[in-house]
Amino acid sequence: MRFVRYLQHWLGGTGARLQVTDFVPVIHPIRQWADTFPWAALVSAIEQSFDTRFPKKSPRGRQPVPIRVLLALELLKHALGASDEDICHRLRTDFAVMYACGLREYQVNPSQAHFVLPETLCEFRGRMDEALMDELIAIQSAAAMEEGLVSPAHLVIDTFPSEQGSQRVTDATTLYKAQKKRSRSSPTSHSSTAARPRSSITKSKSCSTPSQR
Amino acid sequence: MRGFGRRCRGQGRVFVTLVRQTEQQLLTLGEPIKTFGLKAKEHLAQMRTLHEAQRTRLTCALTTAMGHHDYIRKQSTQLTHGKKLSHCKLVNAYDLTIAPIIKGKSNCPAQFGRKPGLASEPATGFIFANLVPPGNPSDSHYVVPLIDKVQRAMARSETGPKRQIHSVAGDLGLNDAVVRQALHTRGILTVGIPKTVEPIKTNPSAQDVWDILNEAGLHRKRTPYQVHLACASGYSRPVVESHIASLLSRGAGHVRYKGLEGAILQQGMIVLAHNGAVIVRIRRQQVSKRAQKFRRLLGLKIPKVNEINHQKN
Repeated sequence: MRFVRYLQHWLGGTGARLQVTDFVPVIHPIRQWADTFPWAALVSAIEQSFDTRFPKKSPRGRQPVPIRVLLALELLKHALGASDEDICHRLRTDFAVMYACGLREYQVNPSQAHFVLPETLCEFRGRMDEALMDELIAIQSAAAMEEGLVSPAHLVIDTFPSEQGSQRVTDATTLYKAQKKRSRSSPTSHSSTAARPRSSITKSKSCSTPSQR
Repeated sequence: MRGFGRRCRGQGRVFVTLVRQTEQQLLTLGEPIKTFGLKAKEHLAQMRTLHEAQRTRLTCALTTAMGHHDYIRKQSTQLTHGKKLSHCKLVNAYDLTIAPIIKGKSNCPAQFGRKPGLASEPATGFIFANLVPPGNPSDSHYVVPLIDKVQRAMARSETGPKRQIHSVAGDLGLNDAVVRQALHTRGILTVGIPKTVEPIKTNPSAQDVWDILNEAGLHRKRTPYQVHLACASGYSRPVVESHIASLLSRGAGHVRYKGLEGAILQQGMIVLAHNGAVIVRIRRQQVSKRAQKFRRLLGLKIPKVNEINHQKN
């Protein structure tokens, strides 16, 4: 009971707001990394692209998770080499990840921006296209040039091979998917990672993304 | 029976006649699939019990499946007739843009995948643009699209001096007369792209500089100082390898997302994450001596490390 009361501000949305910046020092690698991005320009570019390609049909429904959070999670995923599920879990517990996602206060609010499902991240990714990716890289490059950090005067061009990863359907992955489906359908029998075969855990970590798309 | 591949890589033996006979049977069996597909499409259009969205989804899936069938059938027919397959043959029925990524080793198992290209700054490794084309085009095909992307990024930067690309460096794969001509037309030196296996002169004489400018026809546009810098920043394998290694450490060597769009997205996100890490290193002045010197010669400012960066976003 005491523990629940301790977490009440988190569960119920009341209590003092904790400042995320107080917990993430200036020299923290994730904070330094996050501060390099021109977030406002990147988010604006994505919003513009999404509004054109996926116009909102109805004003009803739950507030969407901010694009700033989803973009930061997607970038962090590649920066830290984490899977979708890992990075979404870290968002709930890691202050540095919260900082990178632009969340400055630790308290439940109606927007629930701190709570992102891996499926949401997948949907966000599915909306990105080549033109938008090029625009994001161009925005980042332009910001770095404006800051005087880099110069495009002399360039090196090269290529490298990238193997296509394929998700192999094995007994272990099939079993894991079935267990996951069952745990979702019945909230009482919540997924127990201990019951999962070891190989399926590694598989799910590495191959969770493509299957969602 | 025929053997494929080198012994050191695990030679596989195949009964060619058996494969051809089986293939023939399968082709005969699958002959009416096209007719069935068209009939299924008609029935799907006439179904009244399905929702519009569901019908669209099923029609789309059927069309895709039929498209794949055409490709597989064409390639299989070539196999049974003993014809030589084209260079970029179909390797994955569900992703036609995948191509073999190993060249020059026709007698061993090749990996399939993609070949992303990048345009980076030689000093720090900041990547200005990346490109993931369909298939496996030659390296020279990457240059102009990448330069276009970099120039679009330059056009975005509003403050500061007017920026230009002075030179482009690359390996022998970029040595193409058309590419050189295209770059010279844009006022870009190609001294960093070698013509032979001989290394590029890092410190050219006055006569060499004169010759380089004459050859490119850029006498009025580029200065001898810029030619010297271009030669100094010329292609160096370890430098490029370090940029590629940084991307590979972030998972760029293995495309995990589906299709060409997935590959573009993954590589793009990795480039963004890598650039963030590069900017952190520049701000903390954690760059190599070579990079420091290069930055000084380019007139790039040194960030103040003692100044506490306040939150900007």
